[in-house]
Amino acid sequence: MKNHQRRRLRSVVALILCSGAAGCATVKPWDRDLLAKPEMQFVTCAQLHAIDEHVYFSKEASLGGSSLAGGGCGCN
Amino acid sequence: MSLKRVEDYFIGRFTAMAGPCEILVDTDSPPRGERALELARQEARRIERKFSRYLPDSEVGRINGSQGQPVRVDEETAHLLDYAATCYEVSEGLFDITSGVLRRAWKFDGSDRVPAEATVAGLLPYVGWGRVAWGDRTLALPAGMEIDLGGIGKEYAVDRAASLIAAEIPDAFVVNFGGDLYASGPRRGGRPWNIGVDDPERTGDATIAAIPLTRGGLATSGDARRYILYRGKRLGHILNPKTGWPVEGAPRSVTVIAPTCVEAGTLSTLAYLRGPGAREFLEAEGAQFRIA
Amino acid sequence: MQLDAPERPRAVRAKLRTATCLLLTAVAPRFAHAADPPAPPVPASPPTSQIDLTGLFYSERIRVLEPTMRYTRTYSSGRSFFGQVSVDSVTGASPNGTLPTGRTQTVTSASGRSRSVSANSIPTVNFSDTRIALDGEWQQPVKMFAFSLGGHFSHEKDYQSEGVTGRVAIDLNHKLTTLSLGGGYNNDVVSPVGGTSVGMAPYGELTGAASNPKHVKTALVGVSQVLSRKWLVGVSASLSSEDGYLTDPYKALSIIDATTGIPLAQVSEQRPDTRQRRSVQGDSVYHFTSNILYLSYRRYWDDWGIGSHTIDARYRLPVTSAAFVEPHVRFYTQTAADFYRFGLVQGAPLPQYATSDYRMAGLQSVTLGATIGFAPGGRRRTSEWTVRAEYVGQFGDSSPPGTVGVQTRIDLFPAVNVFSMVVNYRFNR
Repeated sequence: MKNHQRRRLRSVVALILCSGAAGCATVKPWDRDLLAKPEMQFVTCAQLHAIDEHVYFSKEASLGGSSLAGGGCGCN
Repeated sequence: MSLKRVEDYFIGRFTAMAGPCEILVDTDSPPRGERALELARQEARRIERKFSRYLPDSEVGRINGSQGQPVRVDEETAHLLDYAATCYEVSEGLFDITSGVLRRAWKFDGSDRVPAEATVAGLLPYVGWGRVAWGDRTLALPAGMEIDLGGIGKEYAVDRAASLIAAEIPDAFVVNFGGDLYASGPRRGGRPWNIGVDDPERTGDATIAAIPLTRGGLATSGDARRYILYRGKRLGHILNPKTGWPVEGAPRSVTVIAPTCVEAGTLSTLAYLRGPGAREFLEAEGAQFRIA
Repeated sequence: MQLDAPERPRAVRAKLRTATCLLLTAVAPRFAHAADPPAPPVPASPPTSQIDLTGLFYSERIRVLEPTMRYTRTYSSGRSFFGQVSVDSVTGASPNGTLPTGRTQTVTSASGRSRSVSANSIPTVNFSDTRIALDGEWQQPVKMFAFSLGGHFSHEKDYQSEGVTGRVAIDLNHKLTTLSLGGGYNNDVVSPVGGTSVGMAPYGELTGAASNPKHVKTALVGVSQVLSRKWLVGVSASLSSEDGYLTDPYKALSIIDATTGIPLAQVSEQRPDTRQRRSVQGDSVYHFTSNILYLSYRRYWDDWGIGSHTIDARYRLPVTSAAFVEPHVRFYTQTAADFYRFGLVQGAPLPQYATSDYRMAGLQSVTLGATIGFAPGGRRRTSEWTVRAEYVGQFGDSSPPGTVGVQTRIDLFPAVNVFSMVVNYRFNR
């Protein structure tokens, strides 16, 4: 990777990490009430999600992206 | 007032602060048991008379009737108000002794009567420790506002009674005012006192846990006895002073153990006020607790 | 869950401790110097077990029934593992890629039986197959890291798969930011019933290989970030590389007459033997006063020319403290593979790669569904039911450019309507 590309990558990474650390998220521990709920996740039921992924994988040409290959099957 | 012998200790019972009070003394000597009971009863009654919001000549009654005029308070009241101010600050306004006026809108009797939004909204301008001028042993409460020391009064009475008893008798004892308690030390033989945690689903009928306690304060916050059933949700009697509505999503029962009953009671109330964040808060504070 | 907040360790208790000392010193020195009472002995929480029983019922031209059982065990240290077994049985008819004739046509099926098909409908192939799959994962948190290792094994008549996955999640910034890295490797074997057909050659010509290997390597990286008390977002990217036998062994293409469009012959399809896939995805979970909105967008592309966009939205409405309803809508659109052909015209030279599999064509699909969850037994929550019902409609070009003769009058991409229902029963011990 060229020098300027390396520098740009580094500042992008720093921006991503800093935006988390400094300004936009100063959520105090006592404000984590909602976040602590089990429903506050990207995938709320792993079983149903896995079945959905399998159905879409067998009916469409795209592959997951949100999880690693769980299993191969002959369906596509 | 009654003193009974149970196994190898005495239990004395009386009523104060709108609830059942118990003193347990690990001794074989009835006079010492009687003395502990008498001291506890006197202190409970004293604090009840001095800080009751129902009595116009109590400290709280004087303050609430002051119509905006500054009121000078004595040392003990000043300490309590300082403590309440600290609780207000550390809870970022959730723990507020001026939230008592909201009682006019909410009646917690197990029915499903919920006040109109406008009623609650109309009371909110009269809630907020931030509106109160407190300093130099003088309190100025804006007209229409009230203070209520119910949230810390009982725990304070427990710790006070405990220290008075400890100064007079050498035996281990437990002071329990309506579920807020203090244990002064282990029973003979090094055995701890076993504190049962009331089952929030079946109050009074069953306990769901027994906490062994040798020394320290223990207090429980929860919605078991006073609540409203609203759309299938159980709304506890502890109100969020910022919204005027009961705290939602709080655990049914939060029990905290701390060196003093006041600290235990404050932590359990602060945790309860955080609703679903109760457990995280108590873990972050490194507290000993049980949540049901 | 241990929450460390080094910026304010036990701040509230420290303040309260000072305040209670001031309040109670008038009373007795013993309170002023009180340390925490000796902790009552607390046994480490015993490990908990959870069992999930899932049943999937799925119906379109094929019917799938898939019961699954998963056993999960969690220890108080946070370590956990699960083992899962699922059996899925598929029966029905699947399009084999060839075109309708205008005349009755017989088609050879995967299991060796023949079936007649009516003149204007897409020829399909009957099959029934049962697949058994075993999955497991072990997870171990270590300070701010969480490591997972998973394995997969599945077997069906003509396909066997073995795979491993590894993942590490890193909590940063007081657990407000989580970084995930993962990788997986699958070693599959395709053993077509009746032997492996030679691609782009008349159906029935075999290569002689009874089984063909296929390897899939996947890498995944993601970041999730808490933006506020109510809002969690995440971004992830994955790339995967496949090589080996990537063709569908039972699908063929029709060679049609250049003027009448009537199919004259069939050749087996052939896909490239490598595939590079890429995807990026954004997710958001936002908590309103009581409802929660889940949104996600995924962009996918691969070196076969397929590109897709997926938008998925769910809205969870709690009905009581123990039940919820969650409607769901999803839109999906994809472009066709470079080598997708609805049919080959007689006279033109045969391409190196071609497929008529409608799943490689340009298509859109819409999903509408809802999930209901309820936990009987009130607050104790020892068991939970989740029921999901969904409809997926897939639509494509009924008359793609280049159709000739009879083909112009036939719907070459009849809408696919899928109904599925999943029931999950979970209980804890």
